[in-house]
Amino acid sequence: MLKIVFGDVENSIYHPPTYFDNTYEDEWITDPLSVKMIKDIDKSDVISARAIDSPVLGSISVKELSGGVKTLILMQFDESGKIFNASACGDNCAKWIYEISKHKDLTIALHHIMDFSACEDFSAFIVNSGKQVGSYKEYLDEALRIEER
Amino acid sequence: MKGKYHIIVQNSRVKFEFDIKRNITIVRGDSATGKTTLVSLIDTYDRLGADSGVELSCARRCLTVNNSNWESILNSVSECIVFIDEENTIIKSDDFARKIKGTNNYYVIITRENLPNLPYSVEEIYGIHTSGKYADMRRTYNSFYQLYSVDEQSMADKAETVIVEDSNSGYDFFKAVAADDINCISAGGKTKIKRTVMDNEGKNLLVIADGAAFGSEMGELFLYMQKHPEVSLYLPESFEWQILKSGLIDGNRIADILQHTEDFLESSEYFSWERFYTKLLISETEGTYLQYSKQKLNDVYLNPNEKEAVLTVADIIRENIT
Repeated sequence: MLKIVFGDVENSIYHPPTYFDNTYEDEWITDPLSVKMIKDIDKSDVISARAIDSPVLGSISVKELSGGVKTLILMQFDESGKIFNASACGDNCAKWIYEISKHKDLTIALHHIMDFSACEDFSAFIVNSGKQVGSYKEYLDEALRIEER
Repeated sequence: MKGKYHIIVQNSRVKFEFDIKRNITIVRGDSATGKTTLVSLIDTYDRLGADSGVELSCARRCLTVNNSNWESILNSVSECIVFIDEENTIIKSDDFARKIKGTNNYYVIITRENLPNLPYSVEEIYGIHTSGKYADMRRTYNSFYQLYSVDEQSMADKAETVIVEDSNSGYDFFKAVAADDINCISAGGKTKIKRTVMDNEGKNLLVIADGAAFGSEMGELFLYMQKHPEVSLYLPESFEWQILKSGLIDGNRIADILQHTEDFLESSEYFSWERFYTKLLISETEGTYLQYSKQKLNDVYLNPNEKEAVLTVADIIRENIT
């Protein structure tokens, strides 16, 4: 289940990539889902928990992954209860956010309207208005009405 | 600071090449397109110069600021290009807007958020595009591309309602030229356009706004328009720009200013190009029959010849509103 909070919210991390750099665990990186997300978003291959092969940057450390994929990995694995700011993610991460939410309750913060149009059968709970939306169009209409960012 | 600046920043793996010509440029887009790498390279070069292994070519100093040091740095630098990465919440603050308004630097801000307290142009919102590798197959080439093309849009059907951003001379003009069966309303400001559009859902709408400062509203309106094809936008730089472009005032000289505004506009004096065009138009028409006031339209602009000249600039929407 995906819950979305627009604007500032308690217990949120505004810049998840920095939080990731200081909290990640090796096993998160080699998890099959992470390997898929890193391949899709960063076009990179996980060689080991400590080495990634990037077609652009060459052999990189985990800390050189993109901010978006770091945020996705946090959403999947972090168990602190923190709410991560998904505005650190581009729209190319939207489908992965939704995928993660299919298997766990995931609450995200947003400071912009993320484009979930690529997500089939998109549904989410908008915390600001207490409304359950059952499609991207319903989400968009509701998000546009909400003032908080 | 005036002018357009060509920037090349590279190391052995990546090269970024782009131009900056206004005081505020926004960079956003998909993850893993190199935004943070770009800022990191600029920061590294500013700290260590050529010894860093980074190469940077720009006629002005490029540097970065963050939440902790932005005020002290901005107090001590001049005519620089300042890059600010997305983790810095300062960009949303009124303090930041007030501070940069009075500086003569240009600012490149990495953010997906809309920043309504900053007047940035629709044309200066970019993504980063990787366009392949050089012949040596090692270094990727990255350039900026505009996220929102401001080519004037044509409408399939005549507008039922025209929504004009302001309630001043621009509104006066479009209300006067719009056909009798078209409802022309003022949104009362750029931040109210979204609400006004949504309140008129289902109607064929034409939104006319000042592109020079509409950047903060563009993202959400663009998403709305993707689901509502009955909405179109016309985004001249500003209504004053439209009059200046009409040829009514000193053709060649004004045309040169409009074509190369960045070479004439001092960024510390004008927070947006919209304000420059307003001042330019007022000064150019003062004491003439075309004397312009932003608050109320001089009736002469509704005389046949003058009206036609101004409407010709907006030819793409003429058939939809007249």
